[in-house]
Parts: sequence; structure tokens; C-alpha cells
Amino acid sequence: MFETIVQAVINGLLIGGIYALVSIGVTLIFGVVKIVNFAQGEFVMLGMYISFYLATRFGLDPILSLVVTMPALFVVGVVIQHLLIRRVLGPNDMPQIFLTFALSLLLLNLALMLFTANYRTVHTSYSDTAFHLGGLYIPVAKLIAFILAMGLSGALWLFLHTTDLGRAMRAASQNRDVAMLMGINPNRVFAVAFGAALALAGAAGSLLMPFYSAYPFVGQTFVLMAFVAVVLGTLGNVLGALVASLMMGVAESLGIQFVGADSGLIVVFAMLLLTLAFKPNGLGRGRLRS
Amino acid sequence: MSGTKMILLVGLAVVMLALPEIVTNSFALDILIRILLFSFIGVAWNLMGGYAKQLSLGHAAYFGLGAYTSTLMQIDFDISPWIGMVAGGAVAALASLPIGWLCFRLRGPYFTIATIATAQALMLIFLKFRDFAWGAEGTTIPNLGSAPLMLQFEGKAAYYYVALGLLALGLLVTFLIERSFIGYYLVAIGEDEDAAEAIGVNAPRIKRDIYMISAFLTALAGTFYVQYIYFIDPATAFNFNISIEAALVSIVGGIGTLWGPVIGTVLLETTSALLQSWLGSSTGGVQLTVYSLILMAVILWRPTGLMGVLQDILERYRRRRPAATAKVAP
Repeated sequence: MFETIVQAVINGLLIGGIYALVSIGVTLIFGVVKIVNFAQGEFVMLGMYISFYLATRFGLDPILSLVVTMPALFVVGVVIQHLLIRRVLGPNDMPQIFLTFALSLLLLNLALMLFTANYRTVHTSYSDTAFHLGGLYIPVAKLIAFILAMGLSGALWLFLHTTDLGRAMRAASQNRDVAMLMGINPNRVFAVAFGAALALAGAAGSLLMPFYSAYPFVGQTFVLMAFVAVVLGTLGNVLGALVASLMMGVAESLGIQFVGADSGLIVVFAMLLLTLAFKPNGLGRGRLRS
Repeated sequence: MSGTKMILLVGLAVVMLALPEIVTNSFALDILIRILLFSFIGVAWNLMGGYAKQLSLGHAAYFGLGAYTSTLMQIDFDISPWIGMVAGGAVAALASLPIGWLCFRLRGPYFTIATIATAQALMLIFLKFRDFAWGAEGTTIPNLGSAPLMLQFEGKAAYYYVALGLLALGLLVTFLIERSFIGYYLVAIGEDEDAAEAIGVNAPRIKRDIYMISAFLTALAGTFYVQYIYFIDPATAFNFNISIEAALVSIVGGIGTLWGPVIGTVLLETTSALLQSWLGSSTGGVQLTVYSLILMAVILWRPTGLMGVLQDILERYRRRRPAATAKVAP
């Protein structure tokens, strides 16, 4: 019994690392640009398809394809911020919500047309191997994904705290007007935030590919999880999103273990509803605090 | 209401009432019924999403509750769906209270996400509890042939008139609310909720009430739809696309306007029907790709939607006319 619980917690933490990459992206965009990117999950999907094609056409290992997906999605993010998002920033919610929502619909349905609804998988040499620790079972692909996800989250934290641009982003998230008075160029800061968030989504896609199937709707699962984690971890708080994502992963995994294989989503919704009912401001405090 | 507007409205009513006499093709009638139904759902969404700017993407919850209430009453207790329709509306209105209590704790985009999550959670409940309502397989609704008292008709024309009646009801409710003090409160909340509260608008109460009305109307559409297709399952009744389309037709047509959702539906449904006839049934993804492109175009270039475009054209026409008469006068 104890071992089953520990195993479920480990499984949850491992997938929670991926959730963290998606949620940190959502919370970064929300904190800095002040919009919710409904299309974040579709960029995970895009990252997965890029990794899939690099693996099948050029034999590139999905995890190594990080070096392609991250810069590629960073550029996509800067372009989208520049061409689309920038035009709807303002006090009005409607255009912001429905622009990124339309983007999500567009990417999803384009993927459906171009790649069909088939599941695509990449088989690597480490896809089926696992460490055995006592009675515990730790799949190598998920462990690598988790370690890299934590590494990337740490790198983002260092970037936000030690570089000038990172500090400028945190300043802009705290008070945009004062930050502008201090000489911070908001367009540049927004573009970098959007690009970095999409790069994280792309990284999540590549890290998922050795043990998860790519299909047009794949992003929806992750983005829903991310939205809940971002509310739970307090909107705009990077560390909060990270901790909440790991919690969500563990909660989902325990739900699957003890309630039933298809109860993952029910756990997610239950957590969202409980959060809304009792802690609508999340468990943490503040914006882009870490 | 001015004389011209009155004449236009009466003319429109006559045309709409006479249409099934002219259009007898069942495929065309089906498209017309879809247009009426989604216009009605859009009108119901627009009350809350358009006037009060509470941008819900979870109206499928009420559509599904309406559909399930009337179907359960019909199959388990043999109660007419006409009664079931009203009961479904009442169930939806009641359900909107706890759902609203949770979702209104968040504002802006996170309100939208909470509404998505509640609708999905309701779908999961109906998927999971198969003893209660047939689970994932759903059920067919017994076909009684021509039974107007059971909301079943032979031929599509009668369904057309029911859908038309629903749309007329939705437009009338919107018209009355728009003209009342509640309409002004709603617009004030939509513009700036804090400012509205500061001048004494009881925003939580107004939002709760309008959400109830919106949910009630959406549920009526749910009952009508499953009676029309003789089938119900959670994926149909709580389909996310219903939530999407309710918002989309309003935004494309003109958010927060009486006729916006109707004009938006005419454009989107006609586009969708044309696409289907050009590309055949292999349109997986094409329809929503086109919808999302239209939505993006509207948001980036015309946030006031097609109603805004029409108003601009009217404005230009009006401005040209006095100029012309001025020339005639010496």
C-alpha cells in the first residue's frame, strides 16, 4: 500500500514537470503581457509535431530536438506578439480572450487538416527502459523529461532574477506604467515574455515525444491542467505555478491510482472548483514573485 | 420605434413566416432551422456575454441540462417535452446559481476558463453516471410520428416555426431588457464593473439575474435540438462547439446588439453550408478553421462586428442624402 502511494506520487511528480513548463508559460504571459494565452496548449502540440517530423525524417532524437523547437517557437512567439497580440492590448477583455482563443481554434483545426487525427509516436532506445529502485519503477524517458523541465524552469528563474531583461520583465509585471517611466521598452519586454513562454511550450512538446503521442487535440489536456495550476498557484506567480503543477500531477496520479483510470480530469475539475470556492486568489501572493 | 423600423420588422416577420411555403427542400430547411436555433442561442449568450461582457464559454452546460431534463421527463415519466422544455429552463436557471457563484469569483479571462471547466465537469458527470442518464452511449428519443403535443412533427416546416418562435422570444426578452434600467446596468457593468458598483449598481445581483435568464433561454434550445435530431448523449448535449458558436455568432455579428447574433449566425452558418457543399463531407477541421479566421479578422479590424459595418454604411448613406438636398435648394 505504502509503495503504491509512493509510486503514484513519483508518477505524478514526473508528469507534473511537464505541466509546470506549460503553466509557467501561461503565468509568464499573464504576469507580463496581462493576457491569458488560450493557445498555449496548441504550441505544445506544435512542438510535438516538429519533434516528430525531425525524428522520423532526420532521425533526430526527440529530446535533442529541443535545440530546434525552443528557438523556433521563441521566434513564433515574438512574431505573434508583434503582429497580433500587440494590437489588442488595452482595457477591453473581449478582443484579448477571443484573439488567442481563435488562434487556438485555428492551430488545432489546421493540424487536423494537415496531420489528420492519427496518433503519432516516436520510439526511442530509452522509451521502454526504466530504473528499478526496490519495488519502485521509474521510466527513463519521463525522468529525463522531468529533470530537463526542472532545469529549464530554474533557468527561467535565474533569467528573471539575474539579468537586466529579466528584471525589466518583473518590473513590467509589477507596474507597467512605472516601468515605462524607468525607460523599459514594453514592446520588447512583451515580445521576449511571449517568446520565452512559447519556447517553454515547445520544450514541453519535445520532452513529451519519447513517451506520449502527438495528435491535434493533445494540447487541450495540458492547457486545462495549466490553467488550473495557474489559478491555484496565484495568477502571474512563476514559483506558484511550478509548485501547483507538481501538486496537480500528484493529485491526478493519485486519482488514477485510487479512483479509476478515467478520473484524472475529474480530479482536475474538483481541484479547480475547490480552489475557486475557498481560495479564489490562489495559495500564494503577488505577481511574478519567485 | 420609428415608422421605417416598424415596416422593416413587419416585412421581415412576413417573409420569415412565409419562407417554409417557398423553401420546401429539406436540406435548405435544415440550414434555416440551424440558423434560427443558433441565432437564438447567440441571443441568449449575448444577454450576458454581450451586454454585461461576462464572456462565458460554458453555455453548453445549460443547453445540455435543458436537453437532458426534457428527455428524462419524456422517457421516464411520459411528460410532454413542451413542459419538459420549461422545466429544463428552470433546472438550468437554478444550476446557474451555484455555477455563477463559483465563476463570478474570477474576472476577465479566468471567468471564461471557469465557465469552460464547469461545462466540461457537467459533461463528465453525465458520462460517468450511466444509471442516471444512459452514460456515454446516450439514447434515441422515441419517434411518435406526428405528435405536436409531444413536440414531434412530420416534415421540417413545423420545427422551423418552433425555432422561429424561440428566436422571437429571445429577441423580445433582449429588446425589453435593453430598454429597461437593467439594460443600462448591464452595459455599465460591461464597461467597468468597479465604476458601476461605485455609482450604486448591485453588480453581483444583476450578473446573477442575467445569468439565470441567459441559462433559461439556452436550455430551451437544448430541448428543441434533441427533439429535432431524436438523439441525446453527453457529447452532443454538452458539446463545446455549442459554447463556441454561441459566443462566435454574437462577436462576429456585433457583440451587445439586439440583432448582432442573428446576423452573425446567418454569415457563419451560410459559410459553413457552402463549405460543406463544395468540399463534401470530408471537411474535418475546415469549418472551424474558417470560423477562427473570420473571428480573428473581426477582432483585429472590426471589433463592433457586422452590425458596426452596417451602421457605418447607414451613416454614410444618411450623410450623403442631406448634402444632395442642400444642392437642390437655392
